[in-house]
Order: sequence, then C-alpha cells, then structure tokens
Amino acid sequence: MDTPQYNTDIVRSFILWSVIWGLVAVLVGVIVSVQMTNPELNFPPYFTFGRLRPIHTNAGIYGWAVGVIFATFYYIVQRLCKIRIWSDKLATFQLWFFNATIIAAAVSLLLGYTTSKEYHELEWPVDIMVVVLWVAFSINIIMTIIKRKEEQMYISLWYMMAAIIGVAILYLVNAAAIPVSLFKSYSLYAGTNDANVQWWFGHNAVAMVLTAPPLAMFYYFLPKSTGVPIYSHKISIISFWSLIFMYLWTGAHHLLWTPVPDWIQTLAMAFSLMLIAPSWGSVINGYLSMKGQWHQMRDNYLVKFLIIGITFYGLQTLQGPMQAIRSFSAFIHYTDWVPAHIHMGTMGWVSMIAFASIYFLVPRIYNKELYSVPLANLHFWLILTGQLIWSISLWIAGVLQAGMWNAINPDGSLTYTFMETMVEMYPYWWARTIGGVIFLTGVLVFIYNLVKTIRSGEKLAPSAVTAEGRA
Amino acid sequence: MWEKRPVLFLILATVVIMIGTTITMIVPFLSVNTEADRIDSVKPYTPLQQEGRDIYIREGCNNCHTQTVRPLVSEVLRYGEYSKSGEFVYDRPFLWGSKRTGPDLARLGGKYPDAWHYKHMAAPRTMIPGSNMPDYGWLSDNPLDPQMVQRKMEILDFPYNADQISALIDKNEMDAIVAYLQKLGSDIPWRKAAETTIVGEITNPYAGASHADMEGWEKIYKSNCSACHGEHHEGDIGPELIGVNYEDDELFQIIFNGISDGGMPAFGSLGTDKVWKITNFLKYYNEEEGHKE
Amino acid sequence: MMDLGSLLYLGVTFGLFAIFAWIVIKTYSRKNRDKNEVAKYRMLNDD
Repeated sequence: MDTPQYNTDIVRSFILWSVIWGLVAVLVGVIVSVQMTNPELNFPPYFTFGRLRPIHTNAGIYGWAVGVIFATFYYIVQRLCKIRIWSDKLATFQLWFFNATIIAAAVSLLLGYTTSKEYHELEWPVDIMVVVLWVAFSINIIMTIIKRKEEQMYISLWYMMAAIIGVAILYLVNAAAIPVSLFKSYSLYAGTNDANVQWWFGHNAVAMVLTAPPLAMFYYFLPKSTGVPIYSHKISIISFWSLIFMYLWTGAHHLLWTPVPDWIQTLAMAFSLMLIAPSWGSVINGYLSMKGQWHQMRDNYLVKFLIIGITFYGLQTLQGPMQAIRSFSAFIHYTDWVPAHIHMGTMGWVSMIAFASIYFLVPRIYNKELYSVPLANLHFWLILTGQLIWSISLWIAGVLQAGMWNAINPDGSLTYTFMETMVEMYPYWWARTIGGVIFLTGVLVFIYNLVKTIRSGEKLAPSAVTAEGRA
Repeated sequence: MWEKRPVLFLILATVVIMIGTTITMIVPFLSVNTEADRIDSVKPYTPLQQEGRDIYIREGCNNCHTQTVRPLVSEVLRYGEYSKSGEFVYDRPFLWGSKRTGPDLARLGGKYPDAWHYKHMAAPRTMIPGSNMPDYGWLSDNPLDPQMVQRKMEILDFPYNADQISALIDKNEMDAIVAYLQKLGSDIPWRKAAETTIVGEITNPYAGASHADMEGWEKIYKSNCSACHGEHHEGDIGPELIGVNYEDDELFQIIFNGISDGGMPAFGSLGTDKVWKITNFLKYYNEEEGHKE
Repeated sequence: MMDLGSLLYLGVTFGLFAIFAWIVIKTYSRKNRDKNEVAKYRMLNDD
C-alpha cells in the first residue's frame, strides 16, 4: 500500500504543549477570579490582577487555542492532502519557537511589558516572535496544500487558509508601533484611530483564531467521528465566503457609543446581525449531518463534545449580534455580562471542539485505546457545568449592575453610587470562581485520562484500526 | 474551480477580507484625528504625566477601568461630560478599556485633591470601603528615570523643557501616576459648564429634623464624606467640619456642586434628597454628637 | 434627493447582493449540484 508516511510526531508534540498551556490559562483564570473577590491576594509587583489577567487571556488564546490549531492543522492538512507535511524541520523549529514565544510572553507580561491592547498585549520583540512563528506555520501549511495529492480542497482547508491570511493581516497592522526601548513602544496610531484599529483586530482575532480554526476542526472531526459525511458541501461554500466577508466589518461593535464615527458603528451593528446567517450555516450543517446518527450523542463521547460545542457556537453567534445592537450595548457593555459571553465561546465552543479533537487524535497517534471513556464523560459534564455556572452567574450580575447603573430617581439623580453597584457583584464573582474551579477539575480529569492513555492504555485492537483510525 | 487552486483561493480570500477592512478600518483615517475633531484646549502630556500614563499601562489599570464616557443619561450624570474624539489625539495607545470593574476614569482629573489619590492608591479600602482594587503604595518606592522619560517625549514629539526633566529626579512612580490621573479629561472646561445653577429660593425640606431621623443619615455621610472629612468630622484631606456655619442653602450648594478649584467633588449625582440629608446631618447633627462625647 | 454618496452606497449594496446571488446560483446550479458534493465523501477515506 502506498499510504503516505505522515508526520505524527509534530502533531503529538503540539498536543502535549497546548494542553500544558491550556492548564496554565485555566489555573491563572481561577487565580485572577479569586483576586476579584479577595484583593489582598494581589502580590505586587508581579502578581496583581492587572498583570495576571493578560497572562490568562494570552495563555488561553496563544498557548491553548493556537497550540491546538497547530496540532490539529498539521494532522488535518496531511490527511486531506494525502501527503506528508512540506517540511519536518520547519515544523520542529516552529514547535520549539512556539514554546519559547509563549514563555517570553508570560515572563514579559509578568514584568509589566505590555502594550495594553487586548489580546495583543505583547511588546514588540515578542510580537516579532509571534510573526516569525506564524510565517513558519503558514509556509508549511500552504506548501503542503500546494503539493497535495488530492485535487479538491475539503472545507476544513478553506477555513484553515482563511485563518492563516486573516491572522497575518490583523496582527501585523495592529502591531505597528514605534519602539522606545526593548520593552516599550508607542502605537503608530493615536486615540480614536488606535481604538478602531485595535477592535478591528480584536474582533477579527475572534474570527480568525477562535472561529475559523475550530470550524475547520469541526468540519473534519465531526464526519470522522460519526462516520457519515457533512450534510451539505454547498451550504458550507455559502457560509464560508459570507463569514469571512462579513466578519471584518464588525469590529466597531466593541466601540458603540464611543467617539468612533457613527457610520462605522452602524456598519458594525448591521454586519454583526447579518453574521448570524453564515454562523448558523455551519451550526445547521452540523445538526443535519447528525440525521439518523443522533444515537451517537449517547454512544460516542466525541460526538457529544462536538455537537454541544457547535451548539454553544450557535448560542454565541446569536448572543454576540444582540450585544452589537446599540441599545442593548448601551445597557450591558462594560459589565460582567461581556466576560460571560466571551467565556461561553472559549469554554463552551472552542475548548469543547479542542478537547474532542485531542480525544480523536491521541488514540490514533499513540495507537492505543483511550484509557477511560467514563472519565471522558466526567470531563464533559464537569466542563459543561463549570462553564454554565460561570456564564449564567455573570449574565445575572451584568444585568443587575447595568440596571443599577441606569437607575434614576424621580428628581433626575442617580439612584446608586458606583460602589453601591459594585459590592452587589461579590456573590456572583464567587459563583464564577466556583464555576472556574469545576472547569479546572474537568481539565485535570482530561489530563489524567490522557496521561493514563499514553502511559498504560491498551494497544488498539487490529479490528479497531478502521479506515480513519490508522495512524 | 477555486476549490482546486490554492493560490487562487488565497488571493480571493485576501480580497474578501480586505473589503470590510478597507472600508471600516482604513478609510476612517481620512477623517479621524484631523482638523475636524481638533479641540484647541487639549494639550499633550507633560513628562511626569506621560510617565504616569506608562505606569498605568504597565500595571494594567485598563483591565478594570475604562476611559470613555458614553453619551447616555446615566453615564453623563455619573462621570461627567461625554468623551470627544479630539480629547484623545495624544493617546498612544488609546486606553478606553472594555470592562468597568472599577468606575470610568475619563473625567477623573480634578475631581479629588492629590492627597486623596495618594491615600487611595496606597490603601483603596480606607477611602472606598468594599473596593476590590489592589494596593499600589509600593509605587512610591520606585524612582523615575529622567533619561528614559526624555526619550519618550522625543519619540512622541511632545513639548517639554529641561526643568521638567530634571524635576523628575525627586519624583517617584506614585507622583507620576497621580499627575496622570489629575490630567484625565480635564483639558476641556466641562466641570464648570456642568455646574448646576440654582435659581429661585431653596428651602431645606428637613428643617427641624429630629436627632433620631438624622441618625439614619449618618451612613450617607460615612460612604461619601468621611474618607476626607473624618469619621467624626475632624477633618483629614478635607477641612474639619465640626461647627460648620454656612447657611443651609449655601452648604447644600457646596455639596451639590463641589468646589472645583478646592478639590471638593460635586455630589449632585446623589440627588437633592441625599444632599439635603447630608446638609442637615452636618450642620445639626454634629453639635449633638459633641454633647454626647 | 439622491446625491453621489447615496448612489454609491446603493450601488455598492446592490453590487454585493448581486455577487452573493451569483455565488448561490452557481453553487446550486444543476451542473454543480452533484459535483460539489463529491469532496465530502472523499474526505472520509483520506488515510
């Protein structure tokens, strides 16, 4: 048989490192969450909320999500192109440079070297490392696709390539700055321009890191897990092009009611609402692929992760557009509602899909049965419960605080001082911490299951090595 | 056919991504931060203020504080005049933020006296009970680097003079951040403009309130006034208030509008009812307290 | 009252809609209907 010799080592390494950084992200998340309720747990100068929170977000996005993207894309691209990756050496370089970059990022953020721009806090030397990393990755993926043996490019490859281009454009433009020293730079843009560029970046980082790549994974791993193809290739064509077209207009919905020109805000609002269609295109495509297969929600833990993941994507892409409406934004923006929204996306959608992908890959790469399916189920319920407690408690908190902020007495004065509204948040922040700890427990169960699989899992029975199971 | 040609696909995807990008991100550069939204009274940061701003960034203050007041009723009442594009032309980067764990700071400048900020930064909960802000007293131990600040001013192309740079030798990071906070939003004369002018006669609705009634108003005093004027009106950052001898309506107006040059914030946003309660509590209750002790 | 700006605005809007319609029609045309769906089966046997 002329099965291509795929490079699975690189996939394995990226999985292991992404899981480590994912654990760091969740751990720091729990720490900063406790700091919200217990300010005495800030230990200056390095371990204050203001410095740790960017480490939480950066570890989550660049360590966990991007790490999983690297792992899964290297796996998917080889299978869909029926060819080994273009350069093993470049991939190995990328692996170690990835870890060096994440470590440099964590250390520099602890030291207070930050641009302050959300999800783009890294100062210019680390920024350059990120760019080198992405270029190495892009070249390898694109060259593999160009050299492919399978003529038609499957859906996942489109999302993959869009993400590669999208991230490159966004990151470079938003990074533009004038260095003052090795650790400090000033943005090339000022004030309102800077805000507009930043949220064009910020929202499309969500598109190109936390939406397109997980969709690439979903479109690949769902059919692979169920054994039946995706419902409609045609729906995916329409929704793919619409999605990458519309997303780029929506950044200013983060800036409603700010000094950014009104027409940009209005466009952002309109396009955000239109985005429901292509987002739900993928959701519906996923659901319809389950026709006759819904029993797999019970029998196949992978399918459970994937379908609940795409469900949260659906909820996320309904709630997001609602928040992008001016009147709604006026009410809930700047409250805890917003982090609740973000965490439904990251914990409920991105991480669900990432966990499913890793559960799919590890047995195939190590050629071993998963150590324990009951533990995988426990993991599922823990992260689901943790995320729901997290988000629901903060949605309530957000609405409560927004209501108090806007309450006005009959004589036209404010009913509550800021502090009277803030102290009401404490119980909900505690609930959030509990949700975070439950989620963290789920992640630990997941890691235990992986370690046991790798260390002592039983070899895959030859009969289990099906067409999609060969490593 | 694009499904079979990766290079064509990459070009198409780039074009599609660039359409929205061009219209909503590139085109605005033609109008934003131009003469159209310039405000003459808005001035660049001084060396001390700019260094304070960089410390604000370093400590990630923007993770919990926003710096943009939206044109919404409750927001303008709470924070002050809504933010204008022209006020941010010297901000690199912008610091509007996305979450108000603490209050918005866009109009903080001039609201409190410096002494309030020093105390509050060092121990937030002594000034604002229930606050979850970390302590930043340690900033006072860190000296500034005048050479570096000078370099920053050069790169930002902000005006400065040698005296301003050499004065930094005696300053620390706390001085810098307080200087920055005092500059925030104060370049336009909004505070005077927002002052309420009371027309006609005003009468004290609680004239002759009983001691028992006023006892309940002490908590309004405690949560809004005692941080500066002391638990027992003995004074601290603000003056002693024992035996204040303003007329009722004068005292009411001072509390309602504040004293913008004297560092006394306006408490009009509490509403006339609470302000009258504070007025009566101050003027008529403290005497009683004197008898008690 | 159509000034140049609103004409341009309308033009761009209808232009975009036309492109969208063209993509949908092309994707769902009889010619492409079956051909388009081949890839989703092939990916199941990609090893």
